[in-house]
Amino acid sequence: MLYKTNAKSLLVISAVVSWALLLANVLLSAESMREQGTAKIALPFVSNLLIIVFIVAVFLFQRMSAEALKGIDFIGYLWNLFSKAAVAAYLSVALFLGYRVMTNYADTESVLLLHLVYQINFGLLVIFLAKAFYIWRQLLLYHKNRFLQIAWDWFELLLGATLLLTLFNFHYTSFIFLPLLSLMGFYILFLCTNLKWVAYLTFNNKSRSLVLLGAILLSCYIFVRFFRGMSTSHDLVIDYTQVGFLLLAMMFVGFYTLAAFLVSLFSLPTSSVFEQKSEDLLNFQRLSQSIQQGQSEAQVYDMLFESTIKASDASAAWFELVRNGEPQVTQLLNVNSDQIKRIRHLLLAYNIHNIDYINNNLNRNPGFRDLMLPWKSLIILPIKSKKHLAGVLYLLKDIEQGFDRETVNVLRTFTSQTILTIENLRLVAESLQTERYKEELKIATQVQESLIPKNFPVDSWFEISTHAVAAKEVGGDFYDFLQLSESRIAIIIGDVSGKGISAAFHMAQMKGIFHGLMQQDMPPSEFMKQANSALSRCLERTSFITSALYIIDYSMKGFMFARAGHCHTLYYNAMMDDVFYFQTDGLGLGIIRDKSYANHIREMYYDYNPSDVMVIYTDGIVEARNAKNEEYGEDRLKYMLEQTYHLEAEDIKYAIINDLQDFTGPDNLYDDQTLLVIKFKPVEPNK
Amino acid sequence: MKITHEIKENTIILTLDGELDASSSVMLDEELSDPEIMEYSRILVDCKNLHYISSAGLGVFISHLQRFEDAHIKLIFYNMQDKVRNVFEILGLDLLMTIVSDYEEARSIANE
Repeated sequence: MLYKTNAKSLLVISAVVSWALLLANVLLSAESMREQGTAKIALPFVSNLLIIVFIVAVFLFQRMSAEALKGIDFIGYLWNLFSKAAVAAYLSVALFLGYRVMTNYADTESVLLLHLVYQINFGLLVIFLAKAFYIWRQLLLYHKNRFLQIAWDWFELLLGATLLLTLFNFHYTSFIFLPLLSLMGFYILFLCTNLKWVAYLTFNNKSRSLVLLGAILLSCYIFVRFFRGMSTSHDLVIDYTQVGFLLLAMMFVGFYTLAAFLVSLFSLPTSSVFEQKSEDLLNFQRLSQSIQQGQSEAQVYDMLFESTIKASDASAAWFELVRNGEPQVTQLLNVNSDQIKRIRHLLLAYNIHNIDYINNNLNRNPGFRDLMLPWKSLIILPIKSKKHLAGVLYLLKDIEQGFDRETVNVLRTFTSQTILTIENLRLVAESLQTERYKEELKIATQVQESLIPKNFPVDSWFEISTHAVAAKEVGGDFYDFLQLSESRIAIIIGDVSGKGISAAFHMAQMKGIFHGLMQQDMPPSEFMKQANSALSRCLERTSFITSALYIIDYSMKGFMFARAGHCHTLYYNAMMDDVFYFQTDGLGLGIIRDKSYANHIREMYYDYNPSDVMVIYTDGIVEARNAKNEEYGEDRLKYMLEQTYHLEAEDIKYAIINDLQDFTGPDNLYDDQTLLVIKFKPVEPNK
Repeated sequence: MKITHEIKENTIILTLDGELDASSSVMLDEELSDPEIMEYSRILVDCKNLHYISSAGLGVFISHLQRFEDAHIKLIFYNMQDKVRNVFEILGLDLLMTIVSDYEEARSIANE
């Protein structure tokens, strides 16, 4: 950066010094010429060298100052060119006029003054050309390709090479240089066809650029006119029209400005179309971006409404959102509800629901003519996906044939983009919901896990083995125990209907009820009645709980139990060598929520023998299904116990679970599965 | 799950086809919550093609049971498959709800 700044100041210094020396040289020559009236120029090579140094310094300075294009603010570039360089031409005119007025007034021909003016104008010309040259380069190379870049690089090189002509004092009109220069002229014409940037100007920008370009063209004309006019003067010691480089640079700047002016002028009528297209594109982009920005459906419809009106230039419009099959006007433009009602009524009669409908001459339709509407064209665009209709857009125009095919295509793209956006928004919302639901299930699983006791008391009277797995979606199995006295233990198993947080919540309630009520040590049937009464007040109407409560009394060698809608208890009686289900009545908790529940619960007492086995489970076991959608069933469970009753409780459990998993196959868990196997021991308690 | 209804005089016949689980029970709940259903004095539920009923499905029937009873509307299930019936029985619902073998029986009970 420091290097660049240094180089720039060096260039400025060399430009100023070379120009000053040139001026001095010219004035000196002019003075000597005036005195002697012979030699045209004293030291042609010295002044040629100075000219070249000055030109090169100014051009290099501008080349370094030129910045890369930023955005598409082309007007900014034009204004920059005009304000910083093109005004130089007007300045030179003023200067020359000033000189003329002065000489006329003083009535003296001052050769020195003339040379001073001429030299100043030369400086201004070079600055103008250099500035214009590099600004046009930026614009010319907009949207460039490799070929264009190479073409330009060669042009700059060749143009630089023409300075050699001046250095060696060759006149470009002599020898073979003229054809070569005309070839350069064609090269310049070719380069002037690169005007892609003009296409990006809007209508307003084009009008402004025409003014600026016109002013720049005028600058070119002034300079050309001035130097050509002066070249015929015999007083001058130096003629810059003989510098080929300047001629070519002026040709390029002039032609390019003219080309830009003409192209801007002739593309002016079509620019509104391009503006519309780019506006449409932007709107599409906005529509599709609205998902990422998390905008609401209402905002998307707002955008659709505005965009389509702009795209079609409609004079009136309204949008109906379809909610639960009923249309509801949400957006209105230059149309009243009475008109909407009448148009909709008429359209109902035509029976054109859910299809695009275009009527480009409403006046010729007797139905519409009767409505006396101020519009002549109508288009109806339903916003619909394959599954459902989200809304209907109505656009009206006050001219006939208002909706041409191109416009209709754009409008349709808008509507399909809208429905896509809407559906995507819904999908995003749904996935968020699912995410929340998953999170909820995770909590529910944690709650469930924490509510299930990890260890049963180790007792010499019986052994117990438990198995509990929670399915992903449905959760609500639970079991628990409470030591009532030294020789009595209460065991409860249950299943809460429902899933997720609410099931886990009810499970926790049920556990609280169990521990609360069983502190008072009551028989199972009484517990069920009181639990039903307690749950009646807190369970939602569609929920219920199935449960079974067992109170095992070691000293009496018996157990008491009651079943509230829970699965039947599977039992092996060692004395009779028989496996059976306890078929008892009992209604689930929370189904009947008044005192009559008491009539629906039965209690049972049973004496057990050593080696008896009790299998308690939830419906997730017997209703487990295999790939063929068959249920595991009570019979298969019973058969398994018949085969395994002689094993220890732990092994019976494993045998059943393994068989169940063989049956269902892996990863086929629909419902929670809970299984408790209790085996009464033949040994006496250690007292 | 497909639920169809057929109306015969003052009777509405609901035919359940498929599996009544947590998601399809919402449909059933909508059907039973329809205020129009209270205009009929009998609701017959054809369970011939009901292959499975989950606790959520049972919950829907349970939640409407009291309402129908209060309005003296008879709710009768018929053609129930054994395994579905087993679910009703285990829960003790067979004592609260009327479950009969076929349409004829449902018809005659309804007319009582």
